[in-house]
Amino acid sequence: MTTVLEARELTRYYDVSQGFLKPAATVKALNGVSFSLQAGKTLAVVGESGCGKSTLARQLTLIEPPTSGSLLLDGVDAAKADRATLKTMRTRVQMVFQNPYASLNPRQKIGDQLAEPLLINTSLSAAERQAKVRAMMAKVGLRPEHYYRYPHMFSGGQRQRIAIARAMMLNPRIVIADEPTSALDVSIQAQVLNLFMDLQDEFKTAYVFVSHNLAVVEHVADDVMVMYLGRAVESGSKEQIYSRPLHPYTQALLSATPSIRPEDRHAKIKIVGELPSPLNPPTGCAFHKRCPHAVERCRSEVPSLRPVEGHLVACHRAEEINV
Amino acid sequence: MSLLQIKNLSVEFGSDKNPFRAVEGLDLTVDQGEIVGIVGESGSGKSVTMMAMMGLLEGQGRIVADQLEFDGKNLLTISARERRKIVGKDISMIFQDPMTALNPSFTVGYQIMEVLKLHQGLRGAALKARALELMEMVEIPAAASRLSAYPHQLSGGMSQRVAIAMAIACNPKLLIADEPTTALDVTIQAQIMELLVSLQQSQNMALILITHDLAVVAEVAQRLAVMYAGQVAEMGKVPDIFRHPTHPYTEALLKSIPEHSKGAHRLSTLPGIVPGQYDRPSGCLLSPRCPYVQERCRAERPALTPLPQGAVRCHFPLYDKESR
Repeated sequence: MTTVLEARELTRYYDVSQGFLKPAATVKALNGVSFSLQAGKTLAVVGESGCGKSTLARQLTLIEPPTSGSLLLDGVDAAKADRATLKTMRTRVQMVFQNPYASLNPRQKIGDQLAEPLLINTSLSAAERQAKVRAMMAKVGLRPEHYYRYPHMFSGGQRQRIAIARAMMLNPRIVIADEPTSALDVSIQAQVLNLFMDLQDEFKTAYVFVSHNLAVVEHVADDVMVMYLGRAVESGSKEQIYSRPLHPYTQALLSATPSIRPEDRHAKIKIVGELPSPLNPPTGCAFHKRCPHAVERCRSEVPSLRPVEGHLVACHRAEEINV
Repeated sequence: MSLLQIKNLSVEFGSDKNPFRAVEGLDLTVDQGEIVGIVGESGSGKSVTMMAMMGLLEGQGRIVADQLEFDGKNLLTISARERRKIVGKDISMIFQDPMTALNPSFTVGYQIMEVLKLHQGLRGAALKARALELMEMVEIPAAASRLSAYPHQLSGGMSQRVAIAMAIACNPKLLIADEPTTALDVTIQAQIMELLVSLQQSQNMALILITHDLAVVAEVAQRLAVMYAGQVAEMGKVPDIFRHPTHPYTEALLKSIPEHSKGAHRLSTLPGIVPGQYDRPSGCLLSPRCPYVQERCRAERPALTPLPQGAVRCHFPLYDKESR
């Protein structure tokens, strides 16, 4: 098993203006996240809005550099790479965005949009590019006549297929998918998820799948990382996270997910309040204000991610509350 | 008698020559204190039905119905003046996107008080006290100080709570919630659903819950209408439908939820999309996508047939395996 992507203590801070003559404040959008991803596997990143999922996705696609920490792609550190190396590294990580209505150029034909990655990054002739595009279109379930159409002529599900085809054009090692099905209806979501699985089987692509939908994550993921306010609070294999969640936040997320089967319904763990502002995060454990198990120590001391029962949990009381 | 009775409602858009039926022959009844779910994919006519009933389609759509009655009043013949007395008071609605449902130029307190001034004639201290009481009923922390907040200062979940406070301000008999939690995170979704159900019970309101999330309906609703391309495909009690769907579309929707295929590599899917204005088939509207399609389905449009536990619109409903 080869590691294609490794993140070590990735952080990303943003300065935000507080208003005229006031000093800028710092938002710690990503506050030390580490993981590694194996070829052909799927890592799901789960959490609520504002937890840093999308910031993480931006770091991984090398759209912007991290504030600190390092990112290794096939063992090469992105921070130390020169421009030419970076350019080839970027072809190996591609992205699929949440909203297929916004991520496609409305003025460009589908065929041209799909050929663009090849035009920029390869020296293929026009005929070869067209042949590759048509082959990929067939793989994602688009018809040949779609080649000359514009994005507005497609439904949401078809547009997401186009976006996936574009991400796959350069045969990347890793695809970062940021909430790829949350804008779609449930029957269309199933079609798109199946497409993701088929492409992974064929090309052995590794996925980082960012989502807040735990039912979707349970279907696609091999490993799961749960994030809260810029940090990972729990990470492990899908089986471990779903069958025995140890962090109170993971437990709350799972119990809040509605279910169609009465026997699968968990007793709802009541989580009060909302995600705190990242401008003014609570001291100690970021979750303590909403946590039903919080004690004095949680208010003062930041818990570190440590191994408990074979996976990683950032909770002082992980053992006590899970006996 | 039911609180809301809709019989054979159709809503048409477009020109007379080239009309598009967004809703076709819809029957729905809602009793007092009941939670009814309406589910279906985008474009199935869920929201248009409710907007037609509220009179929000004036000048845009043509509404035809045999009966459209709320609390004994005929909503088809009612004057605009009379309607204004009902809408916002006895029937109220909350929308999908709480950020756009509130007016960004006014404080949330002002917006809640406006409803109370208009429908209940409250003024002065009584008005303010009631607004505060409503904010507390929807569990907004530090309610007194939040009255003077503008919508942009609130999170999505808080904005939705304000929208709910406005909707329940006059103790409505019917609350329509159009995708109330779609824009929210899962923990906030759970909080909002719990709030809606507890308010529904304490006020004995009827609640119509429009959603595409079957799991939400499964947890809270008592009855369910599944809509497809402007028609009711299936109607019945929630436990019955989730255990034994009788319409192939309902079955396909349930099967395409990832939770249904636990452990399987592929999800079961319903190929294709909801037909639009120009590609409505002549027979059953589901026939191009239906896995059980037969000759008769392509030729003849099925009618909504009453069953002991509900109703289904299919020539070959799933309980009747022998006829296949």
